[in-house]
Amino acid sequence: MLEKINQTVKNFESDISNGVNKDKLEEIRVKYLGRKGLFTRLFEEFKVLPKDEKPKVGKHLNEQRTKCQNKFDELISEYDQVSDSDDFIDLTLPGRKKELGTKHILTQTLEEIKNVFKGLGFSVYEGPELESDYNNFEMLNFPADHPARDMQDTFFINNEFVLRTHTSPVQVRLMQNKKPPLRAIMPGKVYRNEAISAKSYCLFHQVEGLFVDTDVTFAELKGTLVYFAKQFYGNDVKYRFRPSFFPFTEPSAEVDIWWQPKGKEGKWLEILGCGMVDPNVLENVGIDSEKYTGYAFGMGVERIAMLKYGINDIRLFFDNDKRFLEQF
Amino acid sequence: MKVSLNWLKDYINLDDVSVEKITDKLTIAGLEVDDVVDGSKIYENFVIGYVKEKDKHPNADKLSLCLVTDGTDDYKVVCGAPNVEAGQKVVFAKVGAVIPKGEFKITKAKIRGEESVGMICAEDELGLSDDHSGIMVLDDSYNVGDNFADAMKLNDVIIDVDLTPNRADAMSHIGVARDLAAIMNKQFKYPEIKPDEAETTSAQLASVEIENSVNCPRYVGKVVTGITVKESPEWLKNKLIAIGLRPINNVVDVTNFVMHEIGQPLHAFDLDKLADKKIIVKDAGSDTKFVTLDSKERTLNPADLMICDGKKQVAIAGVMGGENSEVTNDSKNILIESAYFNPSAVRKTAKLLGLSTDASYRFERGVDYNKTKWAAKRAAQLIAELAEGTAAKGEIDAYPAPIENNKVMLRFPRVDKILGYKIEKALMLDILKRLEFEIVNETESDLELLVPSTRPDVLREVDVIEEIARIHGYDNIPVVEKITVSLDEKIDQSKFTNDVRELLISLGFNEIITNSLLNTETAQKFSNPIKVLNPSSVEMAFTRPSLLPGMLNTISKNIKVKETDLQLFEIGHVFSKNSESEIKSFDDFSETEHLLIAITGNAEDKQWYRDNRKSDIYDLEGFANSIFKKLFSNNVVVKSVKQNNDPIFEYSLVKKVKKSIVASGGKIKSDFLNGFEIKQDVFIFDFNLSLMNEYISGRNKFTELLKYPKVIRDFAFVLDKNIEVDSVEKSIVKGSSKLLKNIKLFDIFEGESLGEGKKSLAFQLEYFDYTRTLKEEEVDKDFWSAIETVKKTFNAQLRG
Repeated sequence: MLEKINQTVKNFESDISNGVNKDKLEEIRVKYLGRKGLFTRLFEEFKVLPKDEKPKVGKHLNEQRTKCQNKFDELISEYDQVSDSDDFIDLTLPGRKKELGTKHILTQTLEEIKNVFKGLGFSVYEGPELESDYNNFEMLNFPADHPARDMQDTFFINNEFVLRTHTSPVQVRLMQNKKPPLRAIMPGKVYRNEAISAKSYCLFHQVEGLFVDTDVTFAELKGTLVYFAKQFYGNDVKYRFRPSFFPFTEPSAEVDIWWQPKGKEGKWLEILGCGMVDPNVLENVGIDSEKYTGYAFGMGVERIAMLKYGINDIRLFFDNDKRFLEQF
Repeated sequence: MKVSLNWLKDYINLDDVSVEKITDKLTIAGLEVDDVVDGSKIYENFVIGYVKEKDKHPNADKLSLCLVTDGTDDYKVVCGAPNVEAGQKVVFAKVGAVIPKGEFKITKAKIRGEESVGMICAEDELGLSDDHSGIMVLDDSYNVGDNFADAMKLNDVIIDVDLTPNRADAMSHIGVARDLAAIMNKQFKYPEIKPDEAETTSAQLASVEIENSVNCPRYVGKVVTGITVKESPEWLKNKLIAIGLRPINNVVDVTNFVMHEIGQPLHAFDLDKLADKKIIVKDAGSDTKFVTLDSKERTLNPADLMICDGKKQVAIAGVMGGENSEVTNDSKNILIESAYFNPSAVRKTAKLLGLSTDASYRFERGVDYNKTKWAAKRAAQLIAELAEGTAAKGEIDAYPAPIENNKVMLRFPRVDKILGYKIEKALMLDILKRLEFEIVNETESDLELLVPSTRPDVLREVDVIEEIARIHGYDNIPVVEKITVSLDEKIDQSKFTNDVRELLISLGFNEIITNSLLNTETAQKFSNPIKVLNPSSVEMAFTRPSLLPGMLNTISKNIKVKETDLQLFEIGHVFSKNSESEIKSFDDFSETEHLLIAITGNAEDKQWYRDNRKSDIYDLEGFANSIFKKLFSNNVVVKSVKQNNDPIFEYSLVKKVKKSIVASGGKIKSDFLNGFEIKQDVFIFDFNLSLMNEYISGRNKFTELLKYPKVIRDFAFVLDKNIEVDSVEKSIVKGSSKLLKNIKLFDIFEGESLGEGKKSLAFQLEYFDYTRTLKEEEVDKDFWSAIETVKKTFNAQLRG
């Protein structure tokens, strides 16, 4: 029996060393290692051996089969690594096209902004673009016949309705409908009656922020916006707060960040306006301005995207050239 | 607003401070610096030169060859000016100079074969005037070799401040100096006013009467007699030129100077042209035609406030004077007006007239009613001095009801509550004093303050808190280290549209964002579009009633740059009136959020592994179905209904949920596309997201997976070509039991072998039951029943 096993192994070894190819290898596998192969037959013969011979023969048979199997595996894996000359595969051919869409870069930028504030527990609210003059101006402490109204060139529909010039009227709607504490951002399109140029367009996107509670402070506003600046422009961002004026906030501020393009002179660039909600605005919506304080801020999405991606003409956003859209 | 640094230095000592620091401090104080123009930098490499020799250019008749010296070296210069002569002192731009007009840099050059090293400049090239008649020839007092800017006193720094509407106090050089002094904790001083020397009083020479004291609370007049109107001296002209004003004569220049010094607009009348030497301030009334000093006839409103004399109107109060009382070269006696007009009255008049002046700009924001006399005196004395006249004694001061300064209570704890950081009490008091606030009363917990009349914007406690924080410096606000987050549920109203976007990206669509304002012609193709009252151009006269025009414009523009295969979408608001009538409330119009998807060109372009295939209606519907499948749960039934006779679509269908149309789409008619210069087929689907959002009913609940085998059967029919697949499918369902779960059309075939007007439809049917394994016989029975029904209904034949 041992003899027979050794002879089988010898035959196997001579078979695999005699100029085999992939098909031949498969034949050899079937002949020796297959379900009905020679080793299987040997195992069947082994089953009927006398008991005392079994341990020795069994051990030898197992060892030899494993040895052959390993040798075979080694050889087949070598074959697998060499490409088959009959079946040429050109891996330099481009893969089949799988089309992916793109979100507009303004949407992507807006989402980034939203995510920063959502992380701080801000809700997201939306409002109409065609607003009443009342919500857009009067409720926000813009008196009639006041130069503050000139700050935002307005598209009028008639005396009572305008295309909103900022997202701040959504604040008004929110404060009218819900009781403090209120913490929300309000993104959307806003309109300004300005000539279209590389720097200005008749509409743009704004994100408004509002937080009203019993002890909201100017210092917390600064902290929140520093947090935003760091998430957006990195920990090393250089920023400054400077006084400004908005009818609906007092005190008011604007935030600049230091912009240093490579090889060019750096400069301060305004990224947002903010301030403490003016007590008149709180009173207008029926919130006790002695008990509650709040802050508000607003930023232009286009401006932030232009800075971040080095886009030099605001009209590109609205031209929607596919070559532009697919860059982002 | 332009501020001259040299001028500022008349009121505040800034000798040791750099320009950069000054502009930085102004910005930090809330006077945002937009631009800084440093004259000494502009005129670097410009010197006073002397023309030693002049010869004709050998190769050009109109050019001269000059030899110019800067006192040390001689330079050969080719000059084209007709007036250049040897012996002139000129402005010489050396190599390296940048000519202000056109911003070109002087380099060594050869002009018509002759070397030229530098340039002799004309006034326009230097940016001083529009004069290009010849080079600028200087008088003998200038020293050859001196820097031009220094010699001409152009070495000023002009700071352009972007003033916010609340800062009426800073509409002048003194105002800016005051704020700068406050933030830098420096001293500043008003110019000195001397006592009048004349005996005759202004009141003896003229009189003032106010009829409308609401719109004119105060009117101060001061007379100067015996003047000679002439050109202003250099110092005054230079000050005005520096801030961009054109010098006119010594009277007008002084009134402008004082306005830019203190912020009080002044007007000078020729006293001899005022009937009865009298001023009456009253409404225009029925007298509505008036010629302003720019010789234009203006149409007034009856409520416009006018300055009149004994007989006629002589000025539009706070806006502009009249031609009929203007100071001319022959004027001898003048009346200086220094008034305080109601800000909103001036604004209304200026708006209605469409006339904004330096004066109206200041009156609208509110001038300092306590500086009217000061300004009149200052102007009168300067005019008397420069025009060799005499300032009459005192002023006429019509001030029927003196205005009281605002009083504000400041509670110290409130400062902490708003700001959230501590400012020392002593520092607060110091800041308020620097800003000229008067402390009426001080207790442990609060301050009673009198607000200076320069600050009409400071009315309330919170306004004072802002002033304190502003001068203390926003840079000094400590950054909080932690922000608390509330536990309340957060709402995201933008989630639905975000989900829609994600879905479309995964389907290979590019998102676009287009202008929501449309031209009239396009907008009127839709019903009841909303018109903009004051569009900036006819191209943007309406709000969009549909996303379609923006989409087609985008497609058109892309095709022009050879991007012809497009899958685009836009999400945005559309607007329309609910009826023809005017919008009076939110009920009169609708603003809804829509999604528009569009496909055009190839759905599949030609590649090494495939041929190209054009987008068609079936691509479109496939996308629409995926959108509904993803957004709606299984229990929302979306029905597809074919549409006929649509003005926009060649063929189209609508998607309905219950009875409402939530979306519609199809192939756009080619004549509609012509309007956008598009020549290829475009398929669009327009979804009313606002409406669809109402049918969102949460996510699907889990359905148990099928445990028993499915049974699949195929068959094909030959039937008439014009029979719709939908009706065949309905007939299959009708002929089957509930065991039939799915029908798939897997082949359509037309060919001669089938006979004319015939087609073959092949279906695969799927049978199963959730509770048991189906028997072959029962499926066979169902299957044959379906076949029989189809055969009978459509006179169809079962194929092999």
